[in-house]
Amino acid sequence: MKDSKETETSVQRPILMSDHDQKEKLSPVHKLEGNSRNNFINHVRPRFISERVLSVFYTFCLGGLSFLAFLMLGITGILLMFHYQPGASSGYSSVLTIGSVIPYGYIIRNLHYWSAQIMIVTVNLHMVRVVWTHSYKPPRQLNWLVGVGLLVLVLVLDFTGYLLVGSQESGAAATVAANLLKQIPGLGTALAQIALGEPSALSGSTLVVYVWHCAVLPLAMLWLQLYHFWRIRRDGGVRPL
Amino acid sequence: MAKQIECSRRTVLRFAWAGMVAVGGLSVKPLVDYLMSKEDQPRSPLVSYAKSLEEKTDWQHVPNSRVWVKRDDQGIAALVATCTHLGCEVTYHLERKQWLCPCHGSIYDTEGRPVAGPAPKALPRAAVERKADGSLIINTEKQVGLDVRL
Repeated sequence: MKDSKETETSVQRPILMSDHDQKEKLSPVHKLEGNSRNNFINHVRPRFISERVLSVFYTFCLGGLSFLAFLMLGITGILLMFHYQPGASSGYSSVLTIGSVIPYGYIIRNLHYWSAQIMIVTVNLHMVRVVWTHSYKPPRQLNWLVGVGLLVLVLVLDFTGYLLVGSQESGAAATVAANLLKQIPGLGTALAQIALGEPSALSGSTLVVYVWHCAVLPLAMLWLQLYHFWRIRRDGGVRPL
Repeated sequence: MAKQIECSRRTVLRFAWAGMVAVGGLSVKPLVDYLMSKEDQPRSPLVSYAKSLEEKTDWQHVPNSRVWVKRDDQGIAALVATCTHLGCEVTYHLERKQWLCPCHGSIYDTEGRPVAGPAPKALPRAAVERKADGSLIINTEKQVGLDVRL
């Protein structure tokens, strides 16, 4: 009896009397203020949420956990940028310095490393869940494609992060990747240069990879993720079809 | 019987907030230490030693460096206390008159010649110069022979 009362106050009442509803009633001007912005606010704060979707066992929070790992990677990544020096000769030694000499550097590097490992796992499980619950079907087909794009971005980010360690393994990986890209007729050599710079066989750490890993790819991913989340609400929220 | 704690959603969330604030507060000092660290900035190869070393001494450590200096019968010598095996910092043990490496147990005699352990060669000596005010300047990039003195 007590339980149901609790649910009523915390879940149902705000739905009936939310600020959002009042805002709509009080200011009709707000509605005229460009369709897309209004649309955005409506979907960030929906009028109601089905109680069934609050169950953890439908999504297992895998998308949310991936986003949490992404935030963690962003914060620790920015911190690592203060002491990391990209380059064939400086990359590996600066990683060693962060891990051994800089105060608390090993904690920050390990948080970055393990968040990346966890993110790969949760992102893949998230995709498996979406397939399992048939959530890729209309009307969510576009969001499925956005998700596939995000998966590719995560994998490329993971790979470039591996190159930036600058160890011998990263040099071998960078050389293989560059040689693969160079197989593409015509564009190949230019593509390898743009994507990887000129990695040596002994270190994959280059300024080019650093820029992709720290600026371009994370920003692209953040933008795509926000669209991904908005699109969930737009397509009717998370719920069993 | 212990009184049962009421565990409402609000209590849990309040605990979570308190935990987050506590973690945030505790991580301020580590973050400042991390951001202020200058350990990875390149150091000048020149090390200065304020004393003029007029009398005979055993090895004296130059603060904030790996350099040690001494004056013997022939003159002043400077030694860089980096193990020739894998680069650990070695220390001079006055009572044993030996240099010991903490990493793999290399032992050097008082002049820095290897006695035991994996060390392949003698500890490097650096060039010493005297400034006008009598203090010493050691150039760790300019390596000299074992018997060179100022």
